[in-house]
Amino acid sequence: MKVFYSSPWVPVEWIEAHGLQPRGVWFAEDLGWGALPLSAGVCAFSEAVLRFAETHHDAAMIFTTACDQMRRSFDAFAGSQPARAFLFNLPAIWQSPVALRIFRAEVERLGHFLQAHGGRAPVAEKLAQVVERRNQSRKQLLESAPRRSARQYAEAIARFHWDGSVRVPDHPPSPASRAIPLAIVGGPLTASQWSLLDLIEAAGARIVLNATESGERSLLPAFRLENVSDDPLGAVARGYFENCVDVFQRPNTRLYSWLGERLTARGVRGIVLRAHTGCDLWRAEVQTLRETFRLPVLLLEADEVPGGSPREANRIQAFVETLK
Amino acid sequence: MNIAPRKLSLAEWDDRYAQLTRAGLKEPAYGGPLRRHIARESDLRLQHLRFDNSPAALRLWNFLLTENERLHQARAGGEKIVGTMKDLGTVPVMAYSLPGVRAFYPDGAWWTPCLMECSDRLLQQAEALGIDASFCPVRAMVAAFQNGEHFPPPDLLICSTGAVCDDFSAIAQRLATLGHSILWWEMPRRRQPDPHEASCALPGNLFAPQVQVDWVREELQRVAQSLGELAGQPLDDQTLADGIQKANEVRRLLQALRTTVYSAPGAPLPALEMLVAEMLAIHFCSDRGEAIAVLGELLAEAEKRVRQKQFIIGADAVRIFWVNPVADLRAMNLLEDWGGRICGSDYMFTHALDLIPDNLPPLEALARTALADPMVGSTTERAARIVRECRDFHAEAVVVSRIPGASHCAREGAIIREVVQKALGLPTIELEIPPVCDAMLPTLGSRVQALIETARARRKS
Repeated sequence: MKVFYSSPWVPVEWIEAHGLQPRGVWFAEDLGWGALPLSAGVCAFSEAVLRFAETHHDAAMIFTTACDQMRRSFDAFAGSQPARAFLFNLPAIWQSPVALRIFRAEVERLGHFLQAHGGRAPVAEKLAQVVERRNQSRKQLLESAPRRSARQYAEAIARFHWDGSVRVPDHPPSPASRAIPLAIVGGPLTASQWSLLDLIEAAGARIVLNATESGERSLLPAFRLENVSDDPLGAVARGYFENCVDVFQRPNTRLYSWLGERLTARGVRGIVLRAHTGCDLWRAEVQTLRETFRLPVLLLEADEVPGGSPREANRIQAFVETLK
Repeated sequence: MNIAPRKLSLAEWDDRYAQLTRAGLKEPAYGGPLRRHIARESDLRLQHLRFDNSPAALRLWNFLLTENERLHQARAGGEKIVGTMKDLGTVPVMAYSLPGVRAFYPDGAWWTPCLMECSDRLLQQAEALGIDASFCPVRAMVAAFQNGEHFPPPDLLICSTGAVCDDFSAIAQRLATLGHSILWWEMPRRRQPDPHEASCALPGNLFAPQVQVDWVREELQRVAQSLGELAGQPLDDQTLADGIQKANEVRRLLQALRTTVYSAPGAPLPALEMLVAEMLAIHFCSDRGEAIAVLGELLAEAEKRVRQKQFIIGADAVRIFWVNPVADLRAMNLLEDWGGRICGSDYMFTHALDLIPDNLPPLEALARTALADPMVGSTTERAARIVRECRDFHAEAVVVSRIPGASHCAREGAIIREVVQKALGLPTIELEIPPVCDAMLPTLGSRVQALIETARARRKS
């Protein structure tokens, strides 16, 4: 059975070790294509996920509490189809011992949900294999970044979240480019929105850091596996909890540490912040990003129209021109 | 002298105040004519509101409008000031249990642009600080913290996070980035217990897994520790139990007031004063003892009017259940002008109206109450309580009032309306009230009047 999930902080190893097929929605071709009839303020991603869940009758759907909009999309979905919906409570705090306990309990609860949908209780050995394989895949993906265009990299990461596979390009890294190095930061970037990356590169920039929710930020560092045999659930919970880096966390200093390290190392000269309509969490970071990193920030609001609009292209071109 | 209940303009209140003073009106230290708030705090909106004509209402308004002044006085008197954010009703119960500690919600600054008719420029300042008009008016809080012209800077700032409004969480984070240290505590998203889990009853006819209550209790223990350190005295069980008892006194008064006003054939008190009165539940408007006195007087006034069958809004008015607080207080006046009356409300803090269990260890009781917050559970559960209260108070229509920019409003209104319509078949509308709604009066008027006409038509059928 397919188990769709909408946040990279849902432990896919746990799903896979239950014998089910985790599928990160960002790669799905039928996610959010076409204009969505949104009422005012509804986030296009949360609406797309809701529609997607409604149309995949034979699959389970995992929402998370990462934001208001997804919580309420779950409410809307669970109202009609509670049996195949799961809301994973991602704690916002990370400095209190309670937070890890919440995360761990949610992983356990997810296990019960998966077993109710045909999954089998995971064996520690099998889980360790899955974790190890996914660790290797993430490492390969990270190493392959210089050999891919921004779009290819986004697609490769999304494909990994979709089916766990990684196709490593066989050509060498591209020669050093004189294009402006930019970072793209923000919420989820879905298949229908990857053309935005082409737009940025066509404007004379190159994306050296994809820190969207479905980009490099979603590639967790390798877990420690020493406790898997004693406490498989705990090992997975800790692996995700300790490495989750997102805008909903309080305080949000993990996100800024993660970004700061990479922005500096990669010589980033500007940030494109991609926020969905109604996403207060990301919009509120615009000024903090500017102040913290002393870099120009272009806020692009993702609406329901996939693929980027002429207005968006124009803004990107202007932004890149100012950095030349 | 028995004066019939009536709504007065500010100018009419000048005369009424003079008359009451001549008749020997006794007021608390913060008393005085309402008009002075315009000169002192530029509360210009008062000129466009209409107020209940009772001394009890005068006391309520003076209590509300002197809050910042009273907080500054408390600070000058050596009291510790705690800014508590978002949980709407939980942490203040703990803070007021300790001597020399006073808690308030900086969130309350969201009404400042309304009261000052935006002359404070808080919203523009918030925009300059990176929080623009795409956010809920609570963004005024950031500017108020930065310019220091409203409430005193708190000695301790506490904010619940997790299953809370994103607007608030994002704005509070911006505040932290600007250098205001915040103690964050986690509020998990309330859910129904699974079949294999220990279940725990919460106030408001709700249930949650015991493990969630345990988490909240542990988080509140962390908060209690900080409060105790600030006060120089631990917040032990007995101290907290005494504080809970006092908080319940406020809640009992409010319950009695709501039942008296909302179940009466006409409205003995106006919607606006009821909204303000309900707000006292969350942090006692920075003075718990006085909040009890203010509510006691209001209740006595309402009961007297019901006994005497004197109503400020007649029995013919359409009985409206109102969901979410309004950014512009004037909206509550307008609803009555257009033929409605409030007969029930969910201003996002129904958990602060329910009694805190007094037969449990106090922190456990408080954790259960905190987890009963309507905003941390499913919208369907929130809607279920709305349905119950609509039934109890014989509502004829429901207004879901959107808060401009509030991310939770994008979807919850539709869910609430659907549940209400399915369960009760009542007409509903969703509308948005900005901090100063004058420019939208034609639109708001036609929408609310259409709702009221529909409800009236249903009476005939």
